[in-house]
Amino acid sequence: MAFLELHEVVKSFGRNTVVRGLSLNVDKGEFVSLLGGSGCGKTTTLRMIAGFETPTDGSILVGGKDVSRVPPNRRNLGMVFQNYALFPNMSVRRNIGFGLRIAGKHGAEVERRVDEMLELIHMEEFAQRYPHQLSGGQQQRVALARAIAIQPQALLLDEPLSALDAKIRVRLRDDIRAIQQKLGITTIYVTHDQEEALSISDRVAVMREGLIEQIGAPFEIYNRPATPYVAAFIGTQNLLGATVIDPAAGIVSVEGQSLEAGHPLDAKVGEELRLRVRPEALSLGRSGPNRLGGRVASQKLLGSIVRLVVRVGDTEVFMDGFNDPLLKLPAVGEAVTLSFSPEACTFAEPGAEPIAAAALEDEEETP
Amino acid sequence: MKKRSRKAFSWLWFMIGILYFFIPLLSSFLFSLRGKKGVLSFVAYQHVFADPQFLKTFSFSLEMAIFTVIVGLALIVPTAIWVHLRVPKAKPILDVFALLPFVIPPVILAFGLIRSYSRPPLALVQTPALLVAGYVIVAFPYIYRSVDAGLRAMDLRGLTEAAQSLGSGWLSTIFRVILPNLRTALLSAVFLTFAIVIGELTLAVLLAWPAFGPYMALVGRNLAYEPAALAILSFALTWGSIAIIQAVSRGTPGGRSNLGGTH
Repeated sequence: MAFLELHEVVKSFGRNTVVRGLSLNVDKGEFVSLLGGSGCGKTTTLRMIAGFETPTDGSILVGGKDVSRVPPNRRNLGMVFQNYALFPNMSVRRNIGFGLRIAGKHGAEVERRVDEMLELIHMEEFAQRYPHQLSGGQQQRVALARAIAIQPQALLLDEPLSALDAKIRVRLRDDIRAIQQKLGITTIYVTHDQEEALSISDRVAVMREGLIEQIGAPFEIYNRPATPYVAAFIGTQNLLGATVIDPAAGIVSVEGQSLEAGHPLDAKVGEELRLRVRPEALSLGRSGPNRLGGRVASQKLLGSIVRLVVRVGDTEVFMDGFNDPLLKLPAVGEAVTLSFSPEACTFAEPGAEPIAAAALEDEEETP
Repeated sequence: MKKRSRKAFSWLWFMIGILYFFIPLLSSFLFSLRGKKGVLSFVAYQHVFADPQFLKTFSFSLEMAIFTVIVGLALIVPTAIWVHLRVPKAKPILDVFALLPFVIPPVILAFGLIRSYSRPPLALVQTPALLVAGYVIVAFPYIYRSVDAGLRAMDLRGLTEAAQSLGSGWLSTIFRVILPNLRTALLSAVFLTFAIVIGELTLAVLLAWPAFGPYMALVGRNLAYEPAALAILSFALTWGSIAIIQAVSRGTPGGRSNLGGTH
């Protein structure tokens, strides 16, 4: 039996149903991210686990006990908020010790535990400071220490890094993961940042309209998206109009060029499909069995990645490669061949894509 | 050049403001020193202190002020916190209530109180409780406004939820987290309440209590220099009580040396 269980949880605010029968099982010590755009119900779900919202229907079990109606202060769950929510009237030491003192622990015991926590977040020398004397990253470390000082059954984090700078965000997320693994604490992490979710989670739950679209290990989510929405939401996808030529052999035609799907297609001859292939699955040259000829339309430098935009017929295709100082990129206007393996492509019905690849460009936040 | 003249201009306004408040204060003070012909002396002050009525009425009003502060805060602080957290839609109602004491003249309020509470089952006219109740109404806007501003200045919801997730119940959340961060707001509420109650005239007269306000009015009608001395004294005493409150609350746990409760 899972340690944390959500059974068919529903949450409505008046007529507005935000969570629509969501079920989720989290094992002890597991790190699960709830990932989704704004309004997908991820924060509401977390707040129901924390006890700040009561489910309209369904139940939430922690350690086998139904806590759906238990007030937040009796759930023993540590919570970290987006805006830190440190107590401004207390020093770092008193903030971290707050939960222990509320629990009636004795002075020496509290002090010992607080010292442990300060060491864990590497902030021993800041013990006497007040929150307003700390940077955002430091405040969030203190908030994390405060939440785990009470040895909670699970740790809940609500977009904890959204208010921080890109560099600090990356460092702190690695710290969060390291601390989580060291303590083996069950963790639910809410974020809208897919890179964050993919990089630190054991499993990622992609949410949409109050339900989980897909839940799985980060590699699974990225490489084998189960639904068109997940495929479009995670990472960048090239969407190519493909005409089925031989369904049994899995042969399609894209802009007049024949490609292999690698498996038989459940479609009729002449049917229009959408072929999805990720920019990083493409490479220059003739190495793979699937080849597309086109002309370079532009180059974009995305830091460690170089993106070539290649015009294939009427479609623009993205190709991502590592930015290597020795790399010699084809000039704009040059004819190139892109190749990729049959395994790299997936298919969808035309019009099934809720988000166009071009629109996704803006959503990606590359730190 | 432009910047400099603007700076001079703001200083000018500042000085005008200062003068506006201090000239009357200074002139009453100087006037109060003229009890004896030809020389400046504190003889008017001696007369004031020699009158047993002074201490009696002042301590009565001080007592009323303390009760008003206790009842007013106990009534308004939890209400304001609750409205902020749970029923933000009720805020406009409280805002209207906070205007009523300005709209309804104290005379009307006093007669209303007398009519309602002079016969059983609530014959309270003979008890100072009714006076305190009236003062709570008069002080309500000032207390509510201060507390409201203090609550707005902090992340009330975030702090409350953080405290709850750490195992804190409502009482400890209010006493350990919310109130310490409301310190400045509570101090200003207390300050305003003291200032209002100690000088209040109408309710005290109509409910027939020997308060400091009526005493000052009486002295003002019969004597020349003593009222000025009284005004200065009551001013100093009010400020003195505030200073004591500040000094006391500074030493409490959670209080910091600077007054900025929220950052």
